[in-house]
Amino acid sequence: MATVTRPQRWDEPFGPDMTDEDVDWLLQRPEIAAIDSDAFPAHTPLAGILRNDTRLVRVSPGDIVVREGDYGNSAFLIVEGSLRVVLAPDLPEAVLGRQPAHRRGVFSALSQLWRNHRVAEARASRGARGTTTARRGDTSDAADTRVFLQDVPAVLDDYQTATLDEGALFGELAALGRVPRTATVFAETEGRLLEIRWQGLREFRRYDEGWRRRIDENYRRNALAVHLTESPLFAGLDPDSLQQVIDATLFETYGQFDWHVSYQKLRERGAVGAEHEPVIANVGDYPDGLLMVRAGFARVSAPIGNGHRTITYLGAGDYFGIESLYALWKGDSDRVLSTMLTALGYVDILRVPAPVLERYVFPNIDPPASRLALLDTRALEDDALTEWTLEQRFMNATQAMLIDLDKCVRCDDCVRACAAAHDGNPRFVRQGKTFDHWMVANACMHCIDPVCMIGCPTGAIHRTAQGGMVVINDDTCIGCGTCANSCPYGNIRMVEIRDPAGNTLRDDDHRPIHKATKCDLCAGQPGGPSCVRACPHDALRRQDFHGENLFTEAPR
Amino acid sequence: MTTRPSRVGQLALPALAVVVAVALGGYAYRAAQDLGDPHFLTGYVLFGLMLGLVLLRGRKALSVVPLGRAAFWLRVHVVGGFLGVIVFWLHTGALWPIGLYEQLIAGLFYFVSASGIFGYVVQRAYPSRLTQTGREIIYERIPAAIAELRDAAEDVILECGEKTGSDTLAKYYVETFEWFFRQPRFFASNAVGAARGAHWTRHHCGTVARYLSSAEEPYLDKLADLLAAKVVIDTHYAAQRIMKTWLWGHVPASMALIVLAIWHFLAVNAYAL
Repeated sequence: MATVTRPQRWDEPFGPDMTDEDVDWLLQRPEIAAIDSDAFPAHTPLAGILRNDTRLVRVSPGDIVVREGDYGNSAFLIVEGSLRVVLAPDLPEAVLGRQPAHRRGVFSALSQLWRNHRVAEARASRGARGTTTARRGDTSDAADTRVFLQDVPAVLDDYQTATLDEGALFGELAALGRVPRTATVFAETEGRLLEIRWQGLREFRRYDEGWRRRIDENYRRNALAVHLTESPLFAGLDPDSLQQVIDATLFETYGQFDWHVSYQKLRERGAVGAEHEPVIANVGDYPDGLLMVRAGFARVSAPIGNGHRTITYLGAGDYFGIESLYALWKGDSDRVLSTMLTALGYVDILRVPAPVLERYVFPNIDPPASRLALLDTRALEDDALTEWTLEQRFMNATQAMLIDLDKCVRCDDCVRACAAAHDGNPRFVRQGKTFDHWMVANACMHCIDPVCMIGCPTGAIHRTAQGGMVVINDDTCIGCGTCANSCPYGNIRMVEIRDPAGNTLRDDDHRPIHKATKCDLCAGQPGGPSCVRACPHDALRRQDFHGENLFTEAPR
Repeated sequence: MTTRPSRVGQLALPALAVVVAVALGGYAYRAAQDLGDPHFLTGYVLFGLMLGLVLLRGRKALSVVPLGRAAFWLRVHVVGGFLGVIVFWLHTGALWPIGLYEQLIAGLFYFVSASGIFGYVVQRAYPSRLTQTGREIIYERIPAAIAELRDAAEDVILECGEKTGSDTLAKYYVETFEWFFRQPRFFASNAVGAARGAHWTRHHCGTVARYLSSAEEPYLDKLADLLAAKVVIDTHYAAQRIMKTWLWGHVPASMALIVLAIWHFLAVNAYAL
């Protein structure tokens, strides 16, 4: 029997060079000193968070700290110096120093045939503890993708930028919202940053009222500005008009942030229709504003018989109620909402009041089409796939493993190929929910909103900086099972790990060590997901369920 | 990123095979007219084709290397296999050759071709039949699934006896249904798509129903549900087993054929040239 020390949350500090002197110095900083350390529980003290969930990063002029489009798992507090955020236009890819992700060569891939362990879930003993350093892109994009601008003055001349001074906090939107960075930030002077990984940021927000308020305000302000300007409705507004819209817009939240918990309970009870979801706007309501989805998903439905018929679902950037508001503006004073909007899990809504729309938006747009008109051309059967997709919450999927059961000969070549690419261990199960002749297998879907990441205490499960795939760093996974319990689709498996001789690795109390495992889309393997390439009957594909793809790519 | 071929792309391979077959047939005909010997060329082409067809096994084993989609390789394998039959006939000039060694090769060749066609047909026909059962089950889990059904059925029978005080259903279970729940049944019927299993369970449920009290009938209904589930599992067992095991004949025979063909190739090149 092999015995190792059970992994703990802070076995792998975010910054291995952080010292007690650094922590003491940080505690004197006004932003940290204002925190009430007594509000933190004994098992997660403020000093412990600073010691283990943060690190100090030195920057020089031109250093790029975050890049637009990257996925990041940390936020930054400027403790010395000043930085610039690029507002417009976007910096070219070459200037941002983007390079293709590391992939195995052909011979390295081939060597897996004889280098893979013969024992299931084998790890070197030291690997169980996580003594190796984090891989590229595993923790944050700052340390790992540090590139610098060759010509800072030229960038300042050619691009619209804004200054971020000492005390400014940035990057929290991407870190907490599991969304890509929305802007590039680079150092203008020599400086130091306190980089806070999202687990620490989450604790700050949870236990300190001041940080909670600050993060929320930043979060809402940045989200609003970005989302409004990305919408075609507001894209053409001049800055003054846009500011009027920003000032008038309201923020609302429906459902629970950890929606998977309530969803699992609802599903056990069979209560999965629109009538069981939090109502955002109901049929017959008087529309008082445009509802824009900032994050999450919402269902648009209309009453039919004894239930609700789903017309469509809305994701980030989509909006609801415009046809009724437009009709009211045109003088149809009796117009009320003819469809219902409900929250599919957790939804952030921006409500743009009707008077603002009437003044700044409606004069510049064509009459919007009615969603209800869609129903006239569609049979109930046509929408069955959508209903099922929402019932199973698959609208979250960007890479669902979709198997055509009318083609699949159940040969398991996909499973074997997956195992060959993962040290002999398949990372999915060829079983799952079925609709007609389609099966969504139990493989990670690399969700738009990966709730599996919410509770991870070490950040082992994270998005890759490039591509945004959800992957698990085996070195820093402590086997707590939070991600597996959080995944609404049961696509993360906890496995007992073994040494190369086949002995189960156990801690000092003789309890087996577990690790979370799941599909990583064959990250690093040449040629993309092995499962897709291995299917001899073209029965397997990775499917983005979002939006129109559902109808155009998934055969009916 | 790999993409699926268009319909035109899918037709390209068969079209190419037809072109090769016609060209080779034309050459063989013309060579025969000119008193030449087309057998060497057709033999080389056939030998090359056979080696090429074996590469599909290699592609499957090398799934970690980006060698293109296995689906493309299978299409090449199928089209190449049909082309191989035509080239074989062009090469031998007859359906059945003379000479013991050649007959051995021909026998293996026909077996490999027939088993390949059989595999192709069942892999086209069975998947949708399995889909239509309304349940998916992994082949390796079938024994466990049957055991679960058997346990559930026995629980129903025991409960029926305890609650109603009658052993009619229990006796009938031991006489008939216990056999059915022991292992997969009606393999041949399920293999050809008949419904003998469903018919058998209906027949026996009807036979015993007339002797049951109204208190026992709900237990027979529960048992009927379990029997229906077992019928589905039997269908999966038969179809999945055939889809997996036809290769047990096709692949070893292919290997044996390759070995014989290599010897034939060496012998001809050593003594006939």
